[in-house]
Amino acid sequence: MKPAYQRYALTRTAQAAVVVLLAYVLTFLVTSVLPGDAVTNALRDPQNGLSEQEIQRIVAFYGLDKPVLVQLGLSLGRFLTGELGFSLQSDLPVSRLIGDALPSTLTLAGSALVIAVVFAVAIAYGAHHLPGKWSGAVRSIPSFFLSVPNFVIGLVLIELFAFRLHSFTTTDPNSPAATLFAAVTLAIPVSAPLAEVLIAGLDHESRQDYAQVARSRGITEAGLFVKHLVKPSALPSVAMVALIVGELLGGSVITETIFGRDGIGTVVQKAVTGEDQPVLQAVVSLSAVVFVAVNLIADLVSPLVDPRVKLRETVDA
Amino acid sequence: MSSALWPRRAFLATVSAATASVLLTACGGATATGPSGDGTPVDGGNLTFLIQGYDTGWVSSKTSISSYEGNLWGQITDKLVYVDEKGKLSPWIAESWEELNGAKEFVLHLKKGVTFSDGSPLDAAAVVANLNAWAKGDPSRGVSKVGLFPSTNFLKAEAKDAGTVRVTFSSPALGFIATLGYHGCILLSPKTLALPVEQQADLKQEIGSGPFVVKSWKQGDSYVLEKRKDYNWGPAALGHTGPARLDTITYKVIKDTSVRTSTVASGQAEVAFNVEPQEIDSLKAQGFTVGTPRYLGFTDGFQVNTGTFPTNELSVRQAIQHGIDREEILKTVYTGDWTAATTFLQGNVPEAGDYSGLFKFDPEAAKKLLEDDGWKTGADGYRVKDGKTLELTLSPNPYVPSTKAEDELISQQLKNIGIKVNLKVVDVAGYAAVQASHPPLYQTSRSFVDVGTVAGVLTSQNNGEDWFRLGTSDKKLNELSTAVATASDRDTRKKVAGEIQQHVLEQGYFIPLNQLVQRLYLISPKVQGVQYNGLAYANFYTAWIAK
Repeated sequence: MKPAYQRYALTRTAQAAVVVLLAYVLTFLVTSVLPGDAVTNALRDPQNGLSEQEIQRIVAFYGLDKPVLVQLGLSLGRFLTGELGFSLQSDLPVSRLIGDALPSTLTLAGSALVIAVVFAVAIAYGAHHLPGKWSGAVRSIPSFFLSVPNFVIGLVLIELFAFRLHSFTTTDPNSPAATLFAAVTLAIPVSAPLAEVLIAGLDHESRQDYAQVARSRGITEAGLFVKHLVKPSALPSVAMVALIVGELLGGSVITETIFGRDGIGTVVQKAVTGEDQPVLQAVVSLSAVVFVAVNLIADLVSPLVDPRVKLRETVDA
Repeated sequence: MSSALWPRRAFLATVSAATASVLLTACGGATATGPSGDGTPVDGGNLTFLIQGYDTGWVSSKTSISSYEGNLWGQITDKLVYVDEKGKLSPWIAESWEELNGAKEFVLHLKKGVTFSDGSPLDAAAVVANLNAWAKGDPSRGVSKVGLFPSTNFLKAEAKDAGTVRVTFSSPALGFIATLGYHGCILLSPKTLALPVEQQADLKQEIGSGPFVVKSWKQGDSYVLEKRKDYNWGPAALGHTGPARLDTITYKVIKDTSVRTSTVASGQAEVAFNVEPQEIDSLKAQGFTVGTPRYLGFTDGFQVNTGTFPTNELSVRQAIQHGIDREEILKTVYTGDWTAATTFLQGNVPEAGDYSGLFKFDPEAAKKLLEDDGWKTGADGYRVKDGKTLELTLSPNPYVPSTKAEDELISQQLKNIGIKVNLKVVDVAGYAAVQASHPPLYQTSRSFVDVGTVAGVLTSQNNGEDWFRLGTSDKKLNELSTAVATASDRDTRKKVAGEIQQHVLEQGYFIPLNQLVQRLYLISPKVQGVQYNGLAYANFYTAWIAK
């Protein structure tokens, strides 16, 4: 078992590293195929009145006139030594742009995750324990949450709580109150699939023999929920964590834009519109690292904690 | 972001008002209150300015002309010359100037006692360093020149003494003094100019001599400026001396237009940049000020490629000129603050004339032009000649988002006279490819401070931009362009500039649409004394907040 686990852990880690590297190279290639580049696009603004030769001389300074493969080599060499380079748009170090934006995104995504879990558990509990008519209504909440666009939720919350009730000001988006409303905006669509998986789990578990036995011993429905049903019903939703992380990163672009927060989402959005290759490569690789790490941890931990997961020993010939 | 035809903010206000009335018993929305007091300026106060983004950073040579970054540059830096909304020049850091030797030599006399915010003097040596940077840039360090600076004939700038600079050109440079008032020509400390671009990208390192200095900043988030207490060298034309009245200006990034507008409308901020044109009337009715300054330069319109089908035919070019209903565009896409073009120059350019008769909306005349030239209406309503359908592809100018709605209307209007327009909407990157492909019509807009710029774009003479793909084939245009470029007195130049406008429009080389307002300012009624320069930037040096 032990050498098998070591080999398993090594292979999975190596695979993870390859995925991150591929994400970096792929982002480079995709942005290289697009017409133009960050520097040329900015300088070509007709307001500038620069001639084509003048633009080309600046482009050459940034090395963007070199063949794509040479540029890729330089960029890859930089990345492998841990250097992320400079933004082609703002000339600021990419590490600084990401470092500035990351705390805001982590706060938002973290609070949103907590709120989403609370929402999901509350919805699942309600769906399961309220009387028929109400249960039906609660069961339709997740699909409602999924069908309202994120920006509508955000704008309505802002209009209502910032402009009418003055609970927060839009000019200070990092205040606790503003962060809370942004997190709720982001949590609502995230909580929906979580709630649905929980409800399905609860439906399944409550029909199991052990639940019937517990009921026959006179346990209350709430007691049954807390003591016996939550844990097994929640197992499938744990597997969704990676998906949820993706959704939190993806959904944060819109939420950050609307609430005026400067986070990773806005950094990505700016980098995409401006074709800021070094920033895009760094953010995509960072996301790949997060994604891969979450999955890797899950994969590495599951054989250790869940006795049902068995590693197959390869038999040496 | 939101469609011009869908008033999203109004919709949201309704939705949330409905929600609010369920949750609350009474809750009044914020309404604007008019300025109090007797109109006497007061000192102090903090102003928050909401803007959609500062994406391109702070390397001055790259961003000082941008609509966004340019706003902030204007508060922390000074210029040698001030240019007002009418294009009139007046002294600023240059107290006076002499134009010698047929506009080939200039002597600038500088204001004394001016310092950069790090304490170093803004003297002749500093001005020479700036002039060299504007004229040549430093491509080996990634620093570009200032696009409109007359570089080709620039010889040298030299400090004669601490307060006098002599600039010489190889041929007349009538536009030189005007260029000094252009937004690209901001005076920075020589120390800042010498920094590598990665360090210039740090806004804190940008040392200017303006009425405000950078106190703190977080890229993409907020930028706090505070007033310089010893500032005493603003342009006389602004009618104010001494330091700025406001204590601080905070530029805060809020990307969403409806949130920016509502934030000012609800009193949580004082100024918002770029609101939806459709909202202007209702905001004004609530007591808000909406600044719609026009910049000096070319109007919104199409450069026509005379070397490609179908615009190689004069009749087609003229038919397009007469087939476009500019009034309908103004009514549908814009508001009363926009005006139709009268030539291809914005109306506030001193040399702009009224040639609107040459391209007035007259669909019957347009149809007759095409008919007489052999373009017969085909089965599908579009005109055909020699088996070819009269069609062209048109791409809205992505640097001016409202042009998309404009061009949608234009394609309908041209359909009425039998021209088929295929709209191809592209982003900024795609637009460079459109330009490189030299389409029949290329939508453009550009600011300048001196009409001499016109001479450099119409033909291919002297490395000109050759907007109409004529090369040097139009002898009259060559002569007129040369006459504008080499003129050594303004009256002669104005006369020739008029002839150029007439000729270009008669030949259908340029199809003007309307006079562009690219920068809109939504301002709280409490804020008074905001002034605009000739490049349509708001200046907060004289602004104050009523108590």
